[in-house]
Amino acid sequence: MIKLQGVTKVYSNGAIGLNNVSLNIEKGEFVFITGNSGSGKSTFLKMLYKEIDPDRGKIVINNRDITKMKRRQIPYLRRDLGMVFQDFRLLPNKTVYENVAFAMEIVGASSREIRKNVPIVLGLVGLAKKARCYPNELSGGEQQRTALARAIVNNNPILIADEPTGNLDPATSWEIMNCLQDINKRGVTIIMATHEREIVNTLKKRVIEISNGQVSKDVHEGGYDDEVEYSQVFI
Amino acid sequence: MKWSTLKYLFKEGIIGLWRNRTMAVASIGTIVLCLLILGMSYGVGTNIDYLIEQIETKFGITAYIKEGLTELEILNLRYEVEQLEDVASVTYISKEEALKNFSADNEDESLFEMFKEDNPLPASLEITTVDIKNQGQLIERLNNIEGIDETVYFQNETQTFINIRNTVNYICYGILICLIVVGLLLMSNTIKLTVYIRKREINIMKYVGATDSFIRVPFLIEGMLVGFIGALISILMVTFAYDWISEKAANVSGVLAELSLVPTAEIISSLIPMYLALGIGIGLIGSMFAIHKHLKV
Repeated sequence: MIKLQGVTKVYSNGAIGLNNVSLNIEKGEFVFITGNSGSGKSTFLKMLYKEIDPDRGKIVINNRDITKMKRRQIPYLRRDLGMVFQDFRLLPNKTVYENVAFAMEIVGASSREIRKNVPIVLGLVGLAKKARCYPNELSGGEQQRTALARAIVNNNPILIADEPTGNLDPATSWEIMNCLQDINKRGVTIIMATHEREIVNTLKKRVIEISNGQVSKDVHEGGYDDEVEYSQVFI
Repeated sequence: MKWSTLKYLFKEGIIGLWRNRTMAVASIGTIVLCLLILGMSYGVGTNIDYLIEQIETKFGITAYIKEGLTELEILNLRYEVEQLEDVASVTYISKEEALKNFSADNEDESLFEMFKEDNPLPASLEITTVDIKNQGQLIERLNNIEGIDETVYFQNETQTFINIRNTVNYICYGILICLIVVGLLLMSNTIKLTVYIRKREINIMKYVGATDSFIRVPFLIEGMLVGFIGALISILMVTFAYDWISEKAANVSGVLAELSLVPTAEIISSLIPMYLALGIGIGLIGSMFAIHKHLKV
């Protein structure tokens, strides 16, 4: 579903974003991308939704080489990728319902489809009663669940989450992770960048660790890292 | 683009205008200010032109008629002159009237009595031109007409007036062009500020997969609405202000009493399309420029 071949990105200041990265992510997988700040996690995600382009290499998503994609085709790529960010990125002047409906308006869905699908998705993330609230009237967890609802309302096959629990307390973080697991069970491929050791270690999903722009670890049913497991033993 | 999508985008434009009403008011204010200054310059320019036109009719041509022509021949002559290009009006001054005028001008009634029997003054045609600058050509044509003895006109004064009129026109055009440029810059900056405040919103739309046109259209509709409202307010303000000035001007007595301003209806009817086109145009183009650079995400 997602294929990277020899992807390299060097920024204009000489910093290495990614260095000759090659990997495959299959349909329906749940993948954690881990690594220290500045290791290349964000570069990796940004390349998937084509905010930045690699200097070398090829990125194929759903059999489309996105490195050759023209600028005007980018919106159509992003419609296949639901995106969730640490800072939620909701439209502040729209209600929860309108924020989710907006993603459907973009793809030209009919009013009837919107009226039918948005309540279903809001129910799925547990926000049915908050449909008329504005983002500033919601807790962090609720805002993130709104973002999740928006990311899946068009049945997007891939969901990219850039530290979605970064701004949330542990209990709320687990609510979001449960939502993400439910979404993954519906067949959506999830790629999530995170620093949360506990989440990664508990869920036992595929873990790709990036350090200095290179894949330093790629383990199925892995943990955050060995040191964490040792330290937990000693504590 | 689907009809339902267009409807949604139009609704978004109106909602955007309402939600960002503080900035909208600032933008409308900018447009109103520009259009008012523009209107003022246009009003002054048009009126100066109009006043000059009224004054320049005073600089007519006097064509003296040869002695010994019969009434019928004079009538034919007058008809011939009336048919000439650039002639606005022709007034026949008989020998007797010329003498009366001469006596009146000199405030001496005895002159009339003295020369009544042997009037030395010739009959003449007082001719006004459609456009003062074509007076020279008309003089040439008049001099070629059989029956006209001599033509007299205020050559230097006419030339001075032509020069004044041209200078006023150039100044007005210059002011108009400067104001359109300033208006566009001001408007573009105000809308840029509106767009800048909503930069994050635009970014979010891009991440969700909105095309450039999907994001742009509500902003353009908003810009056009701002321009339209600005134009309407300006039209109303100019109408009231101009009406008030015209009323005041009508009460002026003395030398200027004979002159009048361009009627309100006439000036407003030419300002309405100009204001609507400029207001909507500035709103649209300003929004287009302002949003352009924020779409590259």
